[in-house]
Amino acid sequence: MGILEKQFEENVLTTKVDWLINWARLSSIWPMTFGLACCAIEMMAVGASHHDIDRFGAGAFRATPRQADLMIVAGTVNFKMAERIKRLYDQMPSPKYVMAMGACATGGGPYYKFGYTVVKGVDRVVPVDVYVAGCPPRPEALLEGLMLLQEKIRNSSVVRKPARMA
Amino acid sequence: MDFQGIHDHLKAVGAPGLLEADLPREKDPEDKKDPGRAGQPFLIIDAEHIVDFLAVCREDERLAFEILADQSATDPAIDDENLWVTYELLSVRHKHRLSLKVLIPKADAKIDSAVPVYRAAQWAEREAGEMYGITFVGHPDPRNILLPDDWEGFPLRKDYEFPKEYHGISCE
Repeated sequence: MGILEKQFEENVLTTKVDWLINWARLSSIWPMTFGLACCAIEMMAVGASHHDIDRFGAGAFRATPRQADLMIVAGTVNFKMAERIKRLYDQMPSPKYVMAMGACATGGGPYYKFGYTVVKGVDRVVPVDVYVAGCPPRPEALLEGLMLLQEKIRNSSVVRKPARMA
Repeated sequence: MDFQGIHDHLKAVGAPGLLEADLPREKDPEDKKDPGRAGQPFLIIDAEHIVDFLAVCREDERLAFEILADQSATDPAIDDENLWVTYELLSVRHKHRLSLKVLIPKADAKIDSAVPVYRAAQWAEREAGEMYGITFVGHPDPRNILLPDDWEGFPLRKDYEFPKEYHGISCE
């Protein structure tokens, strides 16, 4: 733990920093405006008043990767787009998360066999944190995916775990 | 005008390159292997004269096909030696339509561009060109329109082989 080592008693403070930072991060996941196909319509429905993704603090869809924390890949990814997705992902500041929404982004979907330009899963291009099933997923499914991502962030830690005893 | 009227009028004005009319027909009840032909009637045009033929269709007062509604191509079968290039013409003034078909050999897939007559053919010919490997002679901007610029092969040909990887992304 570097300079923090032996400065405090019982690690109480670092645990609280973890909690505070995770709470801040998971309560303000700003997604990037990123619709590729019909899944984007469901994503818009999630953003609208009926389902209201803003309840989770994730309603601020940013038009630039530099202000975004989450990339919701909503739709079919083809090779021409895959290179742009990689570039946009690289432009996002850490910590950054990717959600593969729907069958196409998860594994090629209906284009798996004969889609000659379709990438068979966006995880071949960028690392994916949450996969949301469906074609397209219901808005509730996307919200559950967001909650899963929040759970993942809640269980993360800003300090490194101590090295295991060999 | 209906299809027969358009066909007879084109014959009467001596439109260049008009070969024959292909009409849909029922299945032959005697022959069980006969699939018949569904769809709409179309005219078969000689590839050499397609641009002159389109010009007649557009300029003739009684036909007046102002709009090229669609232009595309078809690879009918893997053992067929021809590709089809198809044109859908529409006349708003006379409320009639016409379908044309041109047969070009796969070994030398080349046809004159329709852009001098219909500027709407630009994007349609770019798509047909990249998908079927057809060269449209005289096209002002024959780049790919949908596929990446460095794409290899012609995806809608029946003998197309799917890529194994593209720019390091596996397709397996």
